[in-house]
Amino acid sequence: MIPAELEFEACKFLRAPTVRVISALLGAVVPALAAALTVAATSDSVTPIALKASAMVIGTGWNGYLSTVGMVLSVAVLLGVGFVLSWSFGREFTDHTFSALFALPVSRRRLAYAKFIVVIAWSLLLCLVTILLALPLGLAIGLGPPDSAALSVGARILVTWSLTTLLACPLAWVASAARGYLAAVGALILVIVVTQVVTAFGGGAWFPYAAPGLWMGLGGPAASQVTPLQLLLAVPVGAAGVWVTGRWWKTAELTRR
Amino acid sequence: MDHELGEAMTGPSAGIGSDHLGVSLGGTVVLRDVSLTVQPGEIHALVGLNGAGKTTLMRTLLGMLTPTSGTVSLFGEPVAALSAAGWSHVGQMLEVPFAYPELTVRENVYSAARLHGLSRPRARSATTDAVLSLGLSAYDMRRAGILSTGNRQRVGLAAALVHAPTVIVLDEPSRGLDPRGVIVLRELLQTAARERNAAILVSSHHLDEVARMADRITVLHGGVMVGSLAPGSIDLERQFFDLVLRADSANEARP
Repeated sequence: MIPAELEFEACKFLRAPTVRVISALLGAVVPALAAALTVAATSDSVTPIALKASAMVIGTGWNGYLSTVGMVLSVAVLLGVGFVLSWSFGREFTDHTFSALFALPVSRRRLAYAKFIVVIAWSLLLCLVTILLALPLGLAIGLGPPDSAALSVGARILVTWSLTTLLACPLAWVASAARGYLAAVGALILVIVVTQVVTAFGGGAWFPYAAPGLWMGLGGPAASQVTPLQLLLAVPVGAAGVWVTGRWWKTAELTRR
Repeated sequence: MDHELGEAMTGPSAGIGSDHLGVSLGGTVVLRDVSLTVQPGEIHALVGLNGAGKTTLMRTLLGMLTPTSGTVSLFGEPVAALSAAGWSHVGQMLEVPFAYPELTVRENVYSAARLHGLSRPRARSATTDAVLSLGLSAYDMRRAGILSTGNRQRVGLAAALVHAPTVIVLDEPSRGLDPRGVIVLRELLQTAARERNAAILVSSHHLDEVARMADRITVLHGGVMVGSLAPGSIDLERQFFDLVLRADSANEARP
């Protein structure tokens, strides 16, 4: 039996245009972009696009193509999931529906947790759909049947996606505490900028927001040596985000409209 | 169990109450020494100018704000300690109706019913009844986002009343409603008070409307209860402004 709060949050989520647009962008546009980059990189052309693409696509065949999908996704998932989380929590304030969530037998903390469950479930499902969509695109660009490297990189994408989803969770607290999604979107952009700066100064692997992307090859082969501990720092970051958001929702008052 | 609780909550201690309530927000005193009761079966109207403190009072009664001083209670229980079972008998609409724009009218009302603890089959039948009673049947599969202000307000009222609550708190429930909607609202609230013994607190700017609906009218001004009006009496508007002016004069005379 699905609890009422989960049914409620899932219903809003499935009807939201924001979610549909981001699902399409992550699920279809990213693999298509990676396929285009792979085609450009493996062509014999010397156009600027082909030269840049060949610098981005590391490796050949399924390995090169799916690694490119993973690299683009390591940034795109943080953006997409971060935006959806910011919207899911912040919209209750922007649309002034927060007051309707008081005076109920269901606690607001449970409502917040229901939001997390729905977003995380959507994110993981979208990851599987994206990998499945990437396969026919790989076939279409002439990579032949998927090999063992495809399976290995596919698993790496799944891990990167899951960790990045956890890393987006603290944005829910920003959207709640700032009472609107705009501040959380600002924080999301800031996180991406800071990640770039930290990575440029060589501290990437210990910075939770940079580790999954580096592991996926975003910093080149030399920087992809990321330890499991460095990767798993995303778990306490995500857990802290969920906990602090739940606590905020439990104690929040309606001090303004 | 739920049914037993429902009966218990309509007993003698049921209703809405505040005792010497004070609320300050950001250092500003918004409510001062407000003592108010709404008995089961009673419709109590709050009237006052903009900024009088009506919404703050309702928010505090519903646990959305913590009192700075005094106490608030629902069903005779302190609001802060009210159980989930207690909250399942409360219906409210403050300022913005429960009308998520991406959901249909039916989905909104059904969601409100589920969140108030109704099982799926009960929520479905209660939704059909609430949509019908608010005159929304023609719109029930339309998204709330494309409705007029008045119909969104009707959705909010359906969501607030779908679970047959025995404590009802509505802030300006007739806002945006057409004359027919106002009559529907009045009949729904009077039926809830008469047949379910519901304790109902409403706020309004329309004195003639509350005169037709309410059993008691309390005037709130500057965060203070400055008096009451008799619903059946004549020229309520004049009485209202007399109370407000008297309160202002008393304030000015204070050293």
